[in-house]
Amino acid sequence: MSPSPETRPSLLIRLSDRSDQAAWQEFASIYTPVIYRLALRKGLQHADAEDLSQQVLSAIAKAIDRWQTDPARAKFRTWLHRVAQNQIINALTRAAPDRAVGGSTVMSNLNEHSARMPDSDLIRLELRREVFRWAANRIRHEFRSVTWNAFWLTAVENATIEDAVQRLGLSSGAVYAARSRIMRRLKEKVCEFDDGESELPS
Amino acid sequence: MNNLQPTCDPRHIEGCLNDSLSDEERSAFEAHLEVCPACRAALELSAGQPDDWQRIRTFLSSDPALPLHGAQLHRAHSGSLSSGEVGHNRADLHSTDSEAVEDAQREAVDSVLSHLAPTDDPRMLGRLGGYEIAGVVGRGGMGVVLKALDPALNRYVAIKVLAPQLATSGAARQRFAREARAAASVVHENVVAIHGVADSGPLPYFVMPYLRGSSLQKRLDAHGPLGTSEILRVAVQIAAGLSAAHAQGLVHRDIKPANIMLEDGVERLKITDFGLARAADDASLTRTGIIAGTPQFMSPEQARGELVDSRSDLFSLGSVMYAMCTGRLPFRAETSYGTLQRICDAQPQSISEINPEIPSWLVAVIGQLHEKNPDARFQTAQEVTHLLEQCLAHLRQPDVVPLPAAVINLIEQSKRTPTRRAAGHYAFHLRRAASFLLSDRIRAVSVATATCAAVAFVTAIAIRWWPSTETAVSPAAPSSVANTPGSAATVPEYADEPINRQPGSAGPFRPIFVTPSAIWNDDGIASELNQLQSDISRLESRLEDHPPTPEKTRQERKP
Repeated sequence: MSPSPETRPSLLIRLSDRSDQAAWQEFASIYTPVIYRLALRKGLQHADAEDLSQQVLSAIAKAIDRWQTDPARAKFRTWLHRVAQNQIINALTRAAPDRAVGGSTVMSNLNEHSARMPDSDLIRLELRREVFRWAANRIRHEFRSVTWNAFWLTAVENATIEDAVQRLGLSSGAVYAARSRIMRRLKEKVCEFDDGESELPS
Repeated sequence: MNNLQPTCDPRHIEGCLNDSLSDEERSAFEAHLEVCPACRAALELSAGQPDDWQRIRTFLSSDPALPLHGAQLHRAHSGSLSSGEVGHNRADLHSTDSEAVEDAQREAVDSVLSHLAPTDDPRMLGRLGGYEIAGVVGRGGMGVVLKALDPALNRYVAIKVLAPQLATSGAARQRFAREARAAASVVHENVVAIHGVADSGPLPYFVMPYLRGSSLQKRLDAHGPLGTSEILRVAVQIAAGLSAAHAQGLVHRDIKPANIMLEDGVERLKITDFGLARAADDASLTRTGIIAGTPQFMSPEQARGELVDSRSDLFSLGSVMYAMCTGRLPFRAETSYGTLQRICDAQPQSISEINPEIPSWLVAVIGQLHEKNPDARFQTAQEVTHLLEQCLAHLRQPDVVPLPAAVINLIEQSKRTPTRRAAGHYAFHLRRAASFLLSDRIRAVSVATATCAAVAFVTAIAIRWWPSTETAVSPAAPSSVANTPGSAATVPEYADEPINRQPGSAGPFRPIFVTPSAIWNDDGIASELNQLQSDISRLESRLEDHPPTPEKTRQERKP
């Protein structure tokens, strides 16, 4: 059963409760790598990228502190996404592009290409990716490893059912059941992040 | 197609996804899925829309952080995993105990590494907090030890990380942090210092100095037993470290060679992992019900799950010293449960038999540490430190420094102890024999007679050797035992009791071990005893096929 928003508020909503440290930890663990990767793409060095992700997170935290409680919960989510996005874009555009000049033309072409990409889309894509990884990491221990492997082989690595049957020693029915069960759970977990309200592009 | 399958039931699809089907329902449904494409499609559709499936492929596929478990795949290949999803029976758990531990540890390493933040230093694996992780130096029941560079101070440190699957429990995390803080308060040259503790974030960890060198466990594995003076130097330092911790009320709970770090080249050591056993217990017990870590060095009170105090560490110290003397574990059995039972009931094989080079006073000291009853052991680590230091001084300058008086007393006692142990040893086997007989009387009559004779014999030995100890060995008891086969099970009761030899009592004295011929010079009795021993070994060989009867049954059957 998917936990309904009433019983289990999404992570983003829990953030509006400033005393919910765990929610903030989870949020930070999802957003830090997102910002970090975006910063690296921008050509920042490792340390700078780390600094930047810290800056952005603390800016988001401050913004949450300023948030006035409003009965409309959905607004908090929308608002938070926008704040996060703006902070990231601001930080990335402000940050001095400390990238090495020279190197291969391929590299600089790639950099330019990534720079041309609309930032907000990139952010959403990276965030989406991170949310899925986060969810997969969190639910993985709920399943026996054969079950997980059945899911991973067939749903992610695109192996055929027969291949999975052979490698795992399960019946094909069990493989079907396993991967659908995990799929359902994964979706639930992803929804825990933001109630599946499609702030995130598909 | 659908109508050919009478078991098509949409409720099963939902049930399968919620994991709310019973085992039979589930296997039936899985079998049904194999032949019914319609249900397969329906199942996948209600699990996720087609673009959901597409999405997880794109978002997760490039992620090396969540690889397959090689070990699991391998195991499935070799066919030891049944195709059923639910095969969790007891035997299963037993046979795969060590494999499960291996897998869990490997999994812990994988998942710790997958939680590291990326680094741009090509020589490093990743970052954790402010540290650059250089490699994995160890893994254990509760976590992983990483070697890391502290860039701020430009030094290497060791970071112990609580395994992520244990870190999911809030109680375990709190305890981990609390114990690490307590351990940090112990400052002693033989206790590993703790630089810092971090209990927030996905991976709670604490930071220790990085020690070049290896653990005592590796040393024993590689070089076997140590020399006497080396043993003493190591033991003195362990005891000194323990005494510093005990002074703060901190019990280690997991003293074992793997937790003793020997520094490179010099004979200086540090004890690691203070108090963490308790945190590990908390976490892993709630998770899996499997005992964390190795039980081989536990004390009897620990094995029984009773309250432990600092004297429990002293028993473990005894076991570590035993391992250093002999290169073997004092208490061994095939399963953890068997080991725990031996720790509580059995005496380890005599050190002098395995390694005759160990002086008898050291054997006696270890025997004293190995007392099952905490009250009978040395009472403080400080006392042990002091004693061992004196022993070490004696070893270096035997002419100048005498053995400490306490040790001489122990030797006096130990002259009796082997005899007592021998009796205990017989009693142990007799008890097994008796329980076997009681549980299987049909073919037992003749053997029972032999057993009773043996019982009478052990008693006779006891009486003959301690003629003046009426309190400990009542002559009435053995005769009644000898008369009624059923009561053979009562033997151990007095065999386990302390037997006090009155000073000045008559009787020849020499150190005695389990061979009967060593006990008796008297030829007639010796041959009879030999006969008896061969009976017992015959019994024993038959016993191998029969597990000992549980304690309870035995008592119920007692007349």
